[in-house]
Amino acid sequence: MLGDLLFLPFVAGLLITVVLALAGAGLFLRGSVWQALALGQWAATGGVLASVFHWPVLPVALALGAGVMALLQRSPDRERLPLAVFLAGLAAVTLLAANFAQASLAAAAWAEGQLYFAGPRELWAVVALGLASLALAPGLYRVWRHAQLAPDVPATPAPLAWLRLTEIGWLVAAVVLGSMVLGLPAALATLLLPAWGAAYLARNLRGLFLWTQAIALTGFLIAWSLSLPLDQPFAPVLVLVNIALAVVARLLATRRTP
Amino acid sequence: MTPQPALAILRAQAVHLGFHRPVLGPLSLEVPTGARWALTGPNGIGKSLLLKAVTGQARIHGGTLELGPSTRVSLLAQDHSRRDPWPLCGHDWFRAMGAAAPGQPRVQALLNRRLDRLSGGQWQLLRLAAALHSGIHQRPQERLILLDEPANHLDAEVRGDAVELIATLPTDATLVMTSHDDDFLRAVGAENHPLTDYLNAR
Repeated sequence: MLGDLLFLPFVAGLLITVVLALAGAGLFLRGSVWQALALGQWAATGGVLASVFHWPVLPVALALGAGVMALLQRSPDRERLPLAVFLAGLAAVTLLAANFAQASLAAAAWAEGQLYFAGPRELWAVVALGLASLALAPGLYRVWRHAQLAPDVPATPAPLAWLRLTEIGWLVAAVVLGSMVLGLPAALATLLLPAWGAAYLARNLRGLFLWTQAIALTGFLIAWSLSLPLDQPFAPVLVLVNIALAVVARLLATRRTP
Repeated sequence: MTPQPALAILRAQAVHLGFHRPVLGPLSLEVPTGARWALTGPNGIGKSLLLKAVTGQARIHGGTLELGPSTRVSLLAQDHSRRDPWPLCGHDWFRAMGAAAPGQPRVQALLNRRLDRLSGGQWQLLRLAAALHSGIHQRPQERLILLDEPANHLDAEVRGDAVELIATLPTDATLVMTSHDDDFLRAVGAENHPLTDYLNAR
């Protein structure tokens, strides 16, 4: 099933799925799902813009993603502003694609996902992010757990500012790299849907992280085994599979809870 | 020899408090270490605002608001709405609050349950227990516990547990609470301090 050509895409996809699932659980706990939408769209806008000017894609996507996140962090509005920023990014991509041929190709690539074409460069970037995620996981967990408390205040010190900034930077990197490797819709589906399904099944915070990983990895493996033999683009298949799994998780939780 | 007055754990001097603009003040007061204060007064006078200012959630527009050296503050806010779904259990909440769960059977029974599946009274009891036990490793005289309307949502089933939790607080720890429930304040042995007594005071 895994020829030499598909080994790198498979490993890169699996690893970025683990990272995105972790980020998704974090975004769920922060109540920032709209921010993920805006961030992912502007990462794609950065990628399309880079294709027009023949700039390297990753730094441009990261820079725009970081800019958007910095803007969103300055406002307490968790819904309308992120939605407006998302729509602005969508409009920018559409306009670029309408006016530049290479932008049109790049936009299609970001929408459909380029997982089958992931090479060593993408794999190393994902491995680096995976290792960084492992090292940062305890700190990220602390930030997300502390975010649940407001408006109550604990007597223990809050996570330090550098840790909160690191968490935001890590989220930007995860969403940007995830969108590059899997395509924007697939990355967003991996970010949002497994955590949503897991939130119904989990008995506690630890369970949320474990269930999120289990659902996300199951979704990736099912989508991989369906899209290749059926000769379909990976991203839309993954989106549909993740929606189905989230619905199943919701139904299972309903049956379990009297 | 005259006895030494207790050192103040919280001191406000002609302080003006608010969010975007000042809405309370000038206010001057000193809360002695180990006190059990109930700030009383009509709705909207600024009791909750004062507690929020102590924890940095409201702004100080003038004057000074000082805590004693090494003081750590915990706050039980007036309301804490729960998201649905919210996959945290009681143990998660105590860990997040940096608190050790007390041995009370009714609190212990909530530790493995999801927070979004607790009744309003159970949720209030759990939060109260965590606020009271947050920073438990700190020296008692360095702990300032703020409770904003702790009797809210407490049904008959858990009210006695809440009173017992407050009553078993170390005597050197300081408690400042707001409440309109006179029976509850009497049961926990709190001294009444109308906030108006400290307004416009120099």
